[in-house]
Amino acid sequence: MGTHVTPMTPPGPIRVDTGFGEFTVNPGDLVSFPSGLPGFERCRSFALLSSEELAPLSYLQAVGGPPASFLVIDPRQVLPDYRCALGQSDLGRLGATESSVLLWLAIVSFTDDDHAWANLRAPVVINPQKMIGYQVLPHNSLYPLRHPLTPA
Amino acid sequence: MLVFTRKRDQTIMIGDGIEVRVLRVGRDGVRLGVSAPADVAVHRREVYDTIREENRQAAAAARTKVPLLRTLRSPRVGSRPRTA
Repeated sequence: MGTHVTPMTPPGPIRVDTGFGEFTVNPGDLVSFPSGLPGFERCRSFALLSSEELAPLSYLQAVGGPPASFLVIDPRQVLPDYRCALGQSDLGRLGATESSVLLWLAIVSFTDDDHAWANLRAPVVINPQKMIGYQVLPHNSLYPLRHPLTPA
Repeated sequence: MLVFTRKRDQTIMIGDGIEVRVLRVGRDGVRLGVSAPADVAVHRREVYDTIREENRQAAAAARTKVPLLRTLRSPRVGSRPRTA
């Protein structure tokens, strides 16, 4: 007796509702965060969302697990000379080498009176080749935990 | 919590890939060496806690503040992260 194999339909685009509108994301655009983020360890998959209104900020939104979202900014938009060296352990986790080109994001926070700052001390690093991300906690970072952001 | 008393140069094994060794016991603290696979992060607890609290505040701010931004009517598209 023959067997019938039902072909799996590839997963379609995902609709993501953010605080400021709806985005459409392809599953292939999701970044895996094997350790989540500190405080959000069970958020293992994120989408990086951008729009003209938000620029230079982007939105890092957890998908498929506990809800969480973060405003993020390229640290070099905050400090053009920003440079953070990654140790072997962090490079290994990212599947990267010292010559890999990586995406760096600083998490942004606000106070109620609209003061905003970026966490330059513990950046989120994404390896676009592997679609893997971590928040790295360098041992000897000289950068501030809260670098003030001036409104555009 | 499992509690051990270790002398200098004695080691604790965690799982099958993590080792903690007492390197030096002194007046200003205990010097520990940690061996772990490359995919395991090792942090001072207070550093991790600080980042955790910053992340929690940032997530709360994103949740409450961002809806106040003006919204577009049409759905936008996320894209594969690319480096500049």
